[in-house]
Amino acid sequence: MTTLIEAKGLSKSYGSHQALKSVDFSVERGRIVGLVGPNGAGKTTILKAILGLTSYEGDLKVLGMDPARQRHQIMQKVSFIADVAVLPRWMKVSEALEFVTEVHPNFDLKKAKHFLSKTNIPMQARVKELSKGMVAQLHLALVMSIEAELLVLDEPTLGLDILYRKEFYNQLLADFFDEGRSILVTTHQIEEIENLLTDLLFIRDGKIILDATMEDIADKYIEVMVSKDDAEKAEALKPVMQRDVFGRKVYLFEGVSREDLEPLGELHSPSVADLFVAKMKEDK
Amino acid sequence: MNTVKSFKALIKREYWEHRGAMFLTPAVMAAFFAGLLILSTLGNDMDITANGETFSPWEHLPRAVDAFENLGDNERSRGVQMGLYAPIVLFGFVMLIISLFYALGSLYDERKDRSILFWKSLPISDTSTVLSKFVSVIIIIPVLYFAIIAAFQLFLLLFTTVGAWFGGSTGVAIWASSNLFEVLFNSLFSMIVASLWLAPIWSWLMLASSWAKKVAFLWGTLPIFMISIAEGWVFHSSHFIEMIGKRIANGFAILNSNMHFLAGGDMFDIDVMHWYEVFANTEFWVGLIVSSVFLAGAIYTRRHRDESVYSN
Repeated sequence: MTTLIEAKGLSKSYGSHQALKSVDFSVERGRIVGLVGPNGAGKTTILKAILGLTSYEGDLKVLGMDPARQRHQIMQKVSFIADVAVLPRWMKVSEALEFVTEVHPNFDLKKAKHFLSKTNIPMQARVKELSKGMVAQLHLALVMSIEAELLVLDEPTLGLDILYRKEFYNQLLADFFDEGRSILVTTHQIEEIENLLTDLLFIRDGKIILDATMEDIADKYIEVMVSKDDAEKAEALKPVMQRDVFGRKVYLFEGVSREDLEPLGELHSPSVADLFVAKMKEDK
Repeated sequence: MNTVKSFKALIKREYWEHRGAMFLTPAVMAAFFAGLLILSTLGNDMDITANGETFSPWEHLPRAVDAFENLGDNERSRGVQMGLYAPIVLFGFVMLIISLFYALGSLYDERKDRSILFWKSLPISDTSTVLSKFVSVIIIIPVLYFAIIAAFQLFLLLFTTVGAWFGGSTGVAIWASSNLFEVLFNSLFSMIVASLWLAPIWSWLMLASSWAKKVAFLWGTLPIFMISIAEGWVFHSSHFIEMIGKRIANGFAILNSNMHFLAGGDMFDIDVMHWYEVFANTEFWVGLIVSSVFLAGAIYTRRHRDESVYSN
């Protein structure tokens, strides 16, 4: 099975508010997918539906199963980190290891102990005695020791300082990710993860407005730095966004060929953050 | 097999989280009372009243021991057993109060601190989780309280034996009169059955706990009062609150039934059942059915309720 998540016409309403408006997308094996959107766009609702934490309308399959009814089977192969504060505060580190070992058929205790031995986390400490960064390390150690096919991360580095944030993703790439697995991640700190991503999903007002691989994006979206004199020529090609940098103008083009753009100036791939801003402003 | 292993882990998890209420509280109580008993005896300021006579234990210990050993076999045995059952009055009361707060927090606390997102990220069904909490109330808490009570009962026997030595006796009569194994057996089962008898109350509180957005205590109690008030208003009767009051009173009565019957049946003003008679009582089984409906509701609510706990 190469498709880990398949959503067709996925919808969700909270009262009269439609959080998801018939969304289609899929996540293939071996991909790292960034789900990006402003607050209230429906990111968390999508993750909740995938994890069996909420009801929904439409068709959703995770590892071929129905998350609304088969959450506990799905969770044998899916791991999840919300933000850092969900480990029970009363629990000791040793208890967390023991518990997960006993309830999770795909958990490797040796691996977890190995990861923890590289941190300063004492086994007998309670979660409430650990710093935020340590709690995140502990959760990551638990999750990376699960032989999961899909890892779902929802703002996993929220509230962590920059040292931990870098370390968090480095460790994920080094010790967890391989072509047999996929990661679905949402974050506000796009610049932190844009080099890891293989795929991007932009969501706005409950609709997916961009669903592409990073290669597609590099082909389709091109940024050009143009001197003021060439500004008119550039604007004739209908850029989707422009901004000023040190007296020069930077234009973002969608679907304009490289040959047309090269005479104007230096070509770049846009950063995900710039692309995001452009897409969010589109048709508004 | 995996389900059994997971279930054991879930029970252990409940114990880890509630070690204070489930074990340390009764253990500290027992240590406190044992210490008090020893200190007050050594301090020699305790007067014992028996058969209308008051005497201080050290001076009159031989007489007391003598009087005790000259009692008829039945009376002596009754006295020792009542002494052994007596701690259940207090420890059992504490156990039921602890159970009440445990049930109220059982499915609420995990939502309040958002740790439910961690529990739900593991391959454990909502049914197993809710049932593990129910089993903790009706079996684990009574068994742990029993273990402490049993230790305390043994302490009482040893303590009085030493007293008997000072009074010039071997103390064998105390042990012979204690019916120790029967007392232990009856203590354990009266505690478990009392909690089982109260199962509909625990399950209701668990349902309220799974549902409450805030202040689980109000969700657990307000509906009961509202139904009672509505009943009084519409039918000018109070059957509902009486039924609940009777259920709770009977719970306490079952808990202390051993003592009640040894005392000649006048400890409680209601019809008291031996713990083993409870199984022949229709209301008991109706209670279990009601309890399972509430539990199913709690499982359903835990599975589907998410809005209150996870919205960014």
